Amino acid sequence: MNLRRIEGDLWEIPREGRMKVPGRVYSVGPPAPDDPALQQVANVAHLPGILRFSLAMPDIHWGYGFPIGGVAAVDAEHGAVSPGGVGYDINCGVRVVTTRLEEEVVRASLHAVTAQLYRDIPTGVGASAAIPRVSDAELDEVLSQGARWAVRRGFAAASDDAERCEEGGRLPAADPSAVSARARLRGSDQLGTLGSGNHFLEVDRVAEVYDEAAAEAFGLVPGTIALQIHSGSRGLGYQVCDEALAALAPRLADYGEDYAALPDRQLACAPICSDEGRGYLGAMQAAANFAFANRQMMTGLAVRALLHTLRVSERDLGARLLYDVCHNVAKHEEHEVDGARRRVLVHRKGATRAFGPGDPRVPTPYRDVGQPVLIPGDMGRYSYVLAGTARAMRDTFGSSCHGAGRLLSRGEALRRGRGRSIARELADRGIEVISRGKKTLAEEMSEAYKDVAQVVAVMHGAGISRLVARLEPMGVIKG
Amino acid sequence: MVRLALPQPYEDLGHTADVGVRVRGASAEEALGRLALAFSTLVTGGERTVVPLREERLDVAGGPGLAGSAVAFLRELLFRLVTAREVATEIEVHAADARCVVATVAFGRHDPERHAEGADVKAVTWHAARLEREGDGWVAQIILDI
Repeated sequence: MNLRRIEGDLWEIPREGRMKVPGRVYSVGPPAPDDPALQQVANVAHLPGILRFSLAMPDIHWGYGFPIGGVAAVDAEHGAVSPGGVGYDINCGVRVVTTRLEEEVVRASLHAVTAQLYRDIPTGVGASAAIPRVSDAELDEVLSQGARWAVRRGFAAASDDAERCEEGGRLPAADPSAVSARARLRGSDQLGTLGSGNHFLEVDRVAEVYDEAAAEAFGLVPGTIALQIHSGSRGLGYQVCDEALAALAPRLADYGEDYAALPDRQLACAPICSDEGRGYLGAMQAAANFAFANRQMMTGLAVRALLHTLRVSERDLGARLLYDVCHNVAKHEEHEVDGARRRVLVHRKGATRAFGPGDPRVPTPYRDVGQPVLIPGDMGRYSYVLAGTARAMRDTFGSSCHGAGRLLSRGEALRRGRGRSIARELADRGIEVISRGKKTLAEEMSEAYKDVAQVVAVMHGAGISRLVARLEPMGVIKG
Repeated sequence: MVRLALPQPYEDLGHTADVGVRVRGASAEEALGRLALAFSTLVTGGERTVVPLREERLDVAGGPGLAGSAVAFLRELLFRLVTAREVATEIEVHAADARCVVATVAFGRHDPERHAEGADVKAVTWHAARLEREGDGWVAQIILDI
């Protein structure tokens, strides 16, 4: 792989062959030229209608078709939409809920709090039944209303939770009728469930603030407790993506030479304006709304668990949703491209929207400082809250990194975890962790992940997002 | 044709974020049957036996190519797993070609408590999917998103 340094931690993969644009990669240290994720950056540059660059954030790692950490904006009329550019877990995302609780108060009841969260929020393989299976008609409401459906059902930190989500917690062009019966069956009993793998719910303490003005706007006070929830659209989103890939892969040649010549089958895509493209976009946005509703439900369940365990009033708890961001989604947005405002479809796969100060799409309380950018790390170290910047709007279609990225395969993590008690090791460091499966803890141990501090430092250094605060885990539930 | 049953050893492809599985057989049908049972082994956390409760003849549209048929067949088994909590415990693949897979599958119960150490497979990917001749035999491999 041919690479040249643009500046600092930003590298370019020059355009060659059938690539339509160059690749641009933000990297922790010089990128390894044989990293297969870089080839995926180059592959994405073949997408019909792609604009400016095929981008990769510093948490880039190999994914299916697109790399994880990949961003690609395509022309909204003549470009292609790629299910692989969104990923299987549609609108996998993260949210942070701030509270007024002091660290010491929760530390004294940490086991009880973590255990109650674990009891109230179903986790693990095939987790279901946080609430009874919803009817098809109610599922339609979930798929069209997103977080608002859950708020209306009383699952909320506060009544304005939905306004504190990216896109108001609802993608309005969702088409529930485009979601298949199979996808509905996979999702209808999974609302309010965490799932497994890298999904988690954490009780965090606000450990350090780097930007006082932004932290104040975000409600982040050092020494107080915040909840962090990482989950997605569960089986429903996977089924939507799976069916779209299966339907599009054999049809590429029908859409023309650019499509037939795509270098990877998992880059399967369709013209945005085709029936298949519109169908996928409608179903994908409905699945994204399911994910918003899922995280919103868990917010309500978690807040109730805190109220119940700590026996505090809602006022003393002071729970407020800071923000909810999508990590896997494609959205129509307006951006400046070569000096002109254009409507584009931005694919973010393992990347976070990071709109800067003054942008009308950022909720009013944050408009002066930029959108909150929530970056989870691993269960033993820390996570970060950043703020979006004007530079991100200029350079990355308003996008930033999304997390740490895996370093070890699950098999290698299990080998390194043999004979160790990861829960005990974390407990010795003051972190209470409860997991459905013992294997999950080994697979998800800190050393299986890159250090997220290095990842966010690249984004901060490049001016793509600005460090605001560091969160450190105290209690963790995993699938 | 041969009727295969759990347990099914497999080669772990050592994928960073997900799980890759490779098996071999004397024919395309045998390799695919072993791949399906390796999938059951993975999701049950290495269970050596699962009691078969019912049998069904599956006729799954596949393609493109043999690998596409392997993906389609495992997608069907995954759907049964996540919606009906059924795992293939015995299998006889009658035919596997570039258009379809025909198989008789005995299903047993997936128990989320007993099989809590099993992988939470969420999707069968097309990436590096193989069902093809290699040397004197056949190889089947799949990467599963978990």
